[in-house]
Amino acid sequence: MSFLTDPRGTLGDLTRPEAWVLGVSVAFLLLLFVALLAGALGPTYFLFLVGLAGMYALLSFGLNSQWGFTGLINFSVAAFFGVGAYGAALMTADSSPIAGGFNPLVGLIVGLSVAFVLAVLIGIPTLRLRADYLAIASLGLAEVVRLVVLNERWLTNGSAGLRGIPSFFAGWPVLSTFPQAMPGLRLEVVPGSPIFLEAPFWRASLNVLLVLGFAGATYFVLRRAHRSPWGRVLRTIRSDEDLARALGKNTYSFKMQSFVLGSLIMALAGVFYTHLNLYVGPGDLDPITTFYVWVAVILGGSGSNRGALFGGIVIVTIREGTRFLNDFAVPIDPAPLRLLLIGILIVVVMRYRPQGILPPQRELIWPSAVDGSGTPDRPASGVRERKRSDDLENRSENAENRSDDRDGNGPNGGDDDE
Amino acid sequence: MTVLGYLANGLVFSSIIVLGSIGLSLVYSIADFANFAHGDTMTIGAYSALVTFGAVGGLGGAVLGLPYGFFLALIVGIAVAAVVAVGTEKLIYEPLDIDSIGLLITSIGIAFIYRAVIQIRFGADFTRFGVEPLRPIEWLIPYGIRVTRHDVAIVASAAVLVVGLHVLLQYTDLGRKMRAMADNPDLARVSGIRTKRVKLWTWVIGAGLAGAGGVFLGLFNQLSPRMGFNLLLVIFAAVILGGIGSVYGAMAGGFLIGMINQLTPLLSRLGEVLPLVPDGFGIPIGIEYANAIAFVIMVAVLLVRPNGIAGEGAT
Repeated sequence: MSFLTDPRGTLGDLTRPEAWVLGVSVAFLLLLFVALLAGALGPTYFLFLVGLAGMYALLSFGLNSQWGFTGLINFSVAAFFGVGAYGAALMTADSSPIAGGFNPLVGLIVGLSVAFVLAVLIGIPTLRLRADYLAIASLGLAEVVRLVVLNERWLTNGSAGLRGIPSFFAGWPVLSTFPQAMPGLRLEVVPGSPIFLEAPFWRASLNVLLVLGFAGATYFVLRRAHRSPWGRVLRTIRSDEDLARALGKNTYSFKMQSFVLGSLIMALAGVFYTHLNLYVGPGDLDPITTFYVWVAVILGGSGSNRGALFGGIVIVTIREGTRFLNDFAVPIDPAPLRLLLIGILIVVVMRYRPQGILPPQRELIWPSAVDGSGTPDRPASGVRERKRSDDLENRSENAENRSDDRDGNGPNGGDDDE
Repeated sequence: MTVLGYLANGLVFSSIIVLGSIGLSLVYSIADFANFAHGDTMTIGAYSALVTFGAVGGLGGAVLGLPYGFFLALIVGIAVAAVVAVGTEKLIYEPLDIDSIGLLITSIGIAFIYRAVIQIRFGADFTRFGVEPLRPIEWLIPYGIRVTRHDVAIVASAAVLVVGLHVLLQYTDLGRKMRAMADNPDLARVSGIRTKRVKLWTWVIGAGLAGAGGVFLGLFNQLSPRMGFNLLLVIFAAVILGGIGSVYGAMAGGFLIGMINQLTPLLSRLGEVLPLVPDGFGIPIGIEYANAIAFVIMVAVLLVRPNGIAGEGAT
């Protein structure tokens, strides 16, 4: 909001990476906008991409609340995403081998409930493990989930996947017929290449609204949770689990809560994906999905929700951009090219900027404490107050030291408990 | 197939897993991180051997149904895997200033780069070595064992490599240094061991064995860019079962996991196989869940006995 009242000041306050990211994003948006107007990029496809970016952002939020907040290395993102997607698809699709034909809201609830149960089941054995064991174990259990989805044909339709999934708003009063009810529009910005806005376009814009709703709600819940006492305990666990335990916290229980919360968000992304893509198959549970999300999070900055948003957009650019590259410039199959780019991105980030591009700042203090003049108002006199304000500055320094410390020491602080 | 037949298959598959798990365990204990690129190092070995074998051909004679050229290709596969791993260590891992979790994440990126390069060059399809497929050995068929001479070659070569590693670790200077470093890197360093050099040798040995494992995996099944990554978790299961950091544990773990993997079909007809179990009794798990069983065992071992069956410090 401060941007509206004082644009120049806000821009001046940005750190260098922030300004850089902002510049690139604006340039990218302009490019997309020009492509849209020129008719090179179909508006419906563009909205699909926006939906996909929102979905990756949602997945990254989920991972962020596990890895970024608590330091849990969860390599089973794809499993929770897939469970959410399959839960919703099995309840709503025509081709569903078990139920099918329910209202998408039922699918949402079922997807989330199954993900909840799965998160508890995976969490019970793995959350007591050391960080690197947790990584291996969660990847293994995610593979088990994928194998079950692939092979239990009576339940999931096997490798054929599920088709005939309705849109999320099917069966809602006004919204279910909204795409058909809207008039078809014809815009001609550049002569000779008209843009048509018809039912698919309106359907896609509903999807975008939906993902904006999901992601926005998640963002605010996470931001609030991150700053709450609960979030503080999680950050303590991340930097030093033994310390948290010494302070009397049941770290296992806190880790479980953070794990379940993140998994539910991932499942929510899965539910949205089902209604965006209108097809789910076992390929969606491939480990590569997990690592897409990991790249988004470590690129954006672990623990930073803004970063997760940025990372999500980068991932979609890589995922969909490789197709265009294949068509125009580089005659390389998109699948390995994507893999190569993701791999290079991981290595480059870890080499040159392990804290990510937009690492969380001042995550240990309330923003209201530093808003305005930058430092809290200092009373005119009195040693005691003076000392307190110094304290606050120290704390903000500590906040930065903390995040540095974490990069050096590992989320579990854990060389000691080997 | 009889129980003996499954055991024989298990032995062959175990040899491959053992080759993979030794390298992973060595790197885990000496470079101190879980190397997710290990599976793709195997793929590199396999494809290097494929290219070499295609270039040199048979070279005349043959041992155990495998032409001499194949053994040359095996050596090239081992060498290329080792060189690639050392190059990665020098270029990527060594300059990094991050903890073991950061290295773990980096190694995933490395794994993707390896796999992507192979897939760009060779395509995603399955291929085979240009070796004549053999019929199972005649005189073993009455016992229900259907193994080819190639399988015998795999087991024999793996045995030679494992014994060689044992001699290296126990009786040479380098082996002693490696064991010292696995035990306590700082102490090794202050006693004058050049730890960086030992680390490089660890990569050479670990990746070389992985390369050999990859070549044999290609001979046993087929080659595909995903072959290594698909096997990676099974190898992790073996390493964890044996106890991370213990080479002999990794051998035992690899042997057990390989056996269990190939014995999965027996689970559904336990009654016929085991005495004291009533006929018709079985655990209805199909062969498609063979890997899943390994992963579940892995998680169970992590929970109950995080140091593995061999325990720590037995390097």
